[in-house]
Amino acid sequence: MSTVQTPVGSGEETPVTSPWRRVLGLVGNQQFILLLVLVAVMIYFDFHNSRFFSVSEFQNLIVDLSAAALVAVAELFVIVSGGIDLSVGSTIAVSGVVGAQAIVHLQSHHFGELPSLLVGTVVCAGVGALVGTVNAVLITKANLVPFVATLVTLSAGAGLALFFSQGAQIGYDPVAATWSSTGFWIFTWQALIVLVIVGVLGLVLHFTSYGRYNYAIGSNPFAARAAGINVNRHVASVYVMSGMLAGLTGMFFYIRIGGGAPQTGIGTELEAIAAVVIGGASLVGGVGLISGTVLGVAILTVVTDGLVFINVSTYWNQVVVAAFIAVAAILQTVSPGTRKR
Amino acid sequence: MDNTPENSGLTGSEVGHSESAGSGVESSASMLLSLHGITKSFGAVQALQHVDLDIPAGQVTALIGDNGAGKSTLIKTISGIWAPTSGTMNWKGKEVHIHTPRDAAHLGIATVYQDLALCDNLDIVQNMYLGREETQVGVLDEITMELATKKTLKDLSVSTVKSVRQVVGSLSGGQRQAVAVARAVMRESELVILDEPTAALGVSQTAQVLDLIRTLSGRGIAVLVISHNLNDVFSVADRIAVMYLGNLVSHGPIANYDRNSAVEMITTGRSDRVPSPLASSN
Repeated sequence: MSTVQTPVGSGEETPVTSPWRRVLGLVGNQQFILLLVLVAVMIYFDFHNSRFFSVSEFQNLIVDLSAAALVAVAELFVIVSGGIDLSVGSTIAVSGVVGAQAIVHLQSHHFGELPSLLVGTVVCAGVGALVGTVNAVLITKANLVPFVATLVTLSAGAGLALFFSQGAQIGYDPVAATWSSTGFWIFTWQALIVLVIVGVLGLVLHFTSYGRYNYAIGSNPFAARAAGINVNRHVASVYVMSGMLAGLTGMFFYIRIGGGAPQTGIGTELEAIAAVVIGGASLVGGVGLISGTVLGVAILTVVTDGLVFINVSTYWNQVVVAAFIAVAAILQTVSPGTRKR
Repeated sequence: MDNTPENSGLTGSEVGHSESAGSGVESSASMLLSLHGITKSFGAVQALQHVDLDIPAGQVTALIGDNGAGKSTLIKTISGIWAPTSGTMNWKGKEVHIHTPRDAAHLGIATVYQDLALCDNLDIVQNMYLGREETQVGVLDEITMELATKKTLKDLSVSTVKSVRQVVGSLSGGQRQAVAVARAVMRESELVILDEPTAALGVSQTAQVLDLIRTLSGRGIAVLVISHNLNDVFSVADRIAVMYLGNLVSHGPIANYDRNSAVEMITTGRSDRVPSPLASSN
């Protein structure tokens, strides 16, 4: 059940929804429009380069998609709760670097590949959770607005990533990099793991009390508090989770690149926010679906990869992405389902 | 007792009474909620000064007073939004400490705020169950919640809502009020506090809400209602409590008051027409 964005009154008046109404409701549904856009963009690229619909290209697409999906979903949780997290990009960088250092250290002490990668994953998630905790403290204890609090950690994280790495890539792990391209059909194992995590987070957002509180707090924090929800604790948990997911993305890039580099992930926060906005979430809070965010990530990934595929200069990437954000944001202001007060 | 300069001349005698009369001590056992000497300061500002108030079960108590008299502060203190600076509260004769809205909810106190405390982006069922969702193995049990919501609305004769899956942002003022009240009822609250329930409503919607209030007290629920509208007060209230500049200057059965004396109490903090208001707290 996805009542959050369903336009009011669509099929609500009658107990049994007629097939016609259902079709009309579907066409009016933002998620369906996003899906159409995604398919249209893919057909466009395939029309210009018939190799676009191929297993290897889809594998690339899904890897790129899953690299962006974790932070986008983290950003969705934060944005639905009425906040914003600008620090996810820097968190990817600093956790990747620190995780890489841990792995290098373990491997120099003759740890096996798998145990050191597992420890590295825990270290990355831990560093991310630490950044998230700093955000949470700044927001819930020091009462900074999330924009400023996470701007602080954005800057500090980027600087610390450079400091810990002294500006160079840490580690050289060809085994991990090779593993990153293995998998099943169009999915690499890495991408499958990410997609499972995204699926679980989607269930949490839409089918648990935790997710419900997220929407309530984003819409009316006073009401949430009056209903007995511990608003500060919930908000803190959202930022810690966001940091942790960014940390896991740092590990994702370590495996894919075979090392931790201080510039990895820098700027990702804007892509993540773009995906969330394209997916129909409101930056005011309280509105947004996981399916929208995943479609937003997919559209962004297909567009940026596809432009390369049809030999458009990568310099145009950002401009095209900007156009998508603008259109999505304008559509949102005219869509009845998201009208506020 | 530290009277501020502006009210010491006007209300000193009444305020003095409230201490010497020890209002409601002898009857507090039969009271659902008794407040004794509740004071609330915000820095140098004393929003509540030694408020004594008894709220009996099954009756509608109207809390009246001018803007800034402390009505909202008082109900927010009772509902755990703010802890009182000093004073005690007795719930069914036992002293209680309400520090959070959750504490109040545990006792059975439900508050319907002026700004309604509903989430516009959530539907009626989601709002009714906010903070105490029904779950099965961690997953929200939407069907159980929807059925119980429908039943509660039906029990309260709320018939104007088309679908319980409408988002609350799309409801009219009266419907929102009904949802907020129904939420309080569904939680089996024993005291329902309503802050200006009819302030933004039209005539027929006001009538609906007043009916709802009567239904509540008919079920043995204590209702504390803040209102600026004396028509509403005299049409539903069993008891009146008047606040003036942070003091509770008078309270008692509605028979002790008429419109003129109520207006005098609201505007000046005293009235010669009310026969020794504080002594007659029953």
